[in-house]
Amino acid sequence: MTDMTAGSPAASWASHRFWRGLYNVLPALALSVGVVVVWEAVIRLFKVPTFVLPAPTAIVESLIANWGSLAFAAQATALEVLFGFVLSAVVGVLVALVIVRFERFGRALYPLIVLFQNVPKVALAPIFILWFGYGLAPKILLIVVIAFFPVAIDMLAGLQSVEPSFVSLMRSVGASKSKIMLRVRIPHSLPHLMAGLKVAITFSVIGAIVGEFAGANQGLGYVIQFASTQLDTPLIFAALIVVSVLGLAFYYIVEFAERWLVPWAPKFDPIHSAG
Amino acid sequence: MNVRVMNAAVAKTVAPDKPAAAAPAHIAATGLAVDFPLEGRKQRVLNDINIAVPKGSFVSLIGPSGCGKSTLLKVMAGLVTPSEGTMTVAGLSPQEAVNARLIGLVFQEATLLPWKNAIENAAFLLMTADETIKKSEAFDRAAAMLKLVGLDGAEKKSPSQLSGGMRQRVAIARALALDPEVLLMDEPFGALDAITREEMSECLLDIWERTNKTIVLVTHSIDEAVFLSREVHVMGTGPARIIETLPITVPHPRTEESYSDPAFTAAENRLRSLLIESHKKGRR
Ligand SMILES: Nc1ncnc2c1ncn2[C@@H]1O[C@H](COP(=O)(O)OP(=O)(O)OP(=O)(O)O)[C@@H](O)[C@H]1O
Ligand SMILES: [Mg+2]
Repeated sequence: MTDMTAGSPAASWASHRFWRGLYNVLPALALSVGVVVVWEAVIRLFKVPTFVLPAPTAIVESLIANWGSLAFAAQATALEVLFGFVLSAVVGVLVALVIVRFERFGRALYPLIVLFQNVPKVALAPIFILWFGYGLAPKILLIVVIAFFPVAIDMLAGLQSVEPSFVSLMRSVGASKSKIMLRVRIPHSLPHLMAGLKVAITFSVIGAIVGEFAGANQGLGYVIQFASTQLDTPLIFAALIVVSVLGLAFYYIVEFAERWLVPWAPKFDPIHSAG
Repeated sequence: MNVRVMNAAVAKTVAPDKPAAAAPAHIAATGLAVDFPLEGRKQRVLNDINIAVPKGSFVSLIGPSGCGKSTLLKVMAGLVTPSEGTMTVAGLSPQEAVNARLIGLVFQEATLLPWKNAIENAAFLLMTADETIKKSEAFDRAAAMLKLVGLDGAEKKSPSQLSGGMRQRVAIARALALDPEVLLMDEPFGALDAITREEMSECLLDIWERTNKTIVLVTHSIDEAVFLSREVHVMGTGPARIIETLPITVPHPRTEESYSDPAFTAAENRLRSLLIESHKKGRR
């Protein structure tokens, strides 16, 4: 690897990174192409009816034909995800801070939160629709209920992860609890918080879609539900693709924010663990 | 107070090259005991500790694992409240000494903030302790301390770019930047390799000679204790007390040659046999 960095350092570094990036996505790309080709072949060979499972080409056709309405629906869903996610993050962080700062209250609150986590949130969707109608509010509420938990738990773990000797050090110069919280605990918890936010953002997309299933007049979940009543399976799949792209985009925004906010955090590589 | 009485007692045992009788006890414990809760009951961790550290002295605490060395250090730092007896630092209670910023702490782990570079870390506690200090002033002091511990040139490096020994130097610089009267160190070189340890010992000795701080060092290394200290307190278990206070008569200034000084070897042997004894007792 070192031999590649010879020569003009800036240029070779860029090309080095480019080729390595390509090399990294190549296997995934090849695998996807393979799957799509086999899928298309199976549909054509066995003449599978479109309403059961559409061929990739049919899905792409539907995607192009319905682009306008899909884009509009994606916009509505994205708005729900955005509001829901931000509120989840705020609620999750506040819950963690309250539990750590007010220990006694935290001991009372924590089991309740864990208990609540075991309520199937999806089942709450109809209730929220009943209470708040078909608008934005019930979706945001559902997202918060689903997505604040990973934020709270990871933030909590982060706040507690500070080495005791560091707390001793702060106390040895007379720092108050709040000062220790602000200067040491909260910054220490940021890498954990970012991990929680990455889970929360994917939960937020799920929450939005489920909320739209339960009752909506716009959004990608609504499109999927509507298409299924029409047996328009290609449109369902087209909408699914848009949902996935949306989810992926949101995920990478959070990951980008992580690199910018906590550059000291250890890089996370899901395949190779410790290098 | 009976501190004065104890000073007289200390005067007999302390190394003679400083007028010890004139030096007041900077850190003094009388009849100190500490209980920790254990499974709902109280467990006595320290019992009847009497210790007097003269101002500007360097003393070590040595003893078997779990005997309560760290706990004693924490009482000095105001982090643990004694159940019985008193502890004074510069004539104040440890909590008052903390508020007067008399105490600097160094632990086995450097515990640097990973998002700050070396100089920011070295200035961090000072800026926490003193909200009114100008940033430039704090950084000047931090830079001077980094230089003192031999880290000039590494100010901008992040902790992940520093070796274990260098991180520990930053931790020492961070404590020194507070300009404390008392430096309390809990196995500060415990995680370092043998050669780095010796280097750090020499560095610490140099700092002590230059700054004339009162230093209390907890260590597991007999060599380190003898090389650095004027006095070594040997602690025993169950519950911990000080079983012997050994003055170290190896002449100052101490250098690499000191290791082969007859006084050094004698002290080493004495400490070894004391430790072996208290280890055996601990096992029973
Ligand atoms: N916060 C605490 N609560 C309860 N027990 C404690 C606490 N801190 C220490 N102890 C107990 O007090 C005893 C002395 O601990 P301490 O850490 O002071 O020992 P030590 O001499 O520093 O040991 P080592 O050489 O391993 O560092 C041990 O038995 C330990 O289990
Ligand atoms: Mg200890």
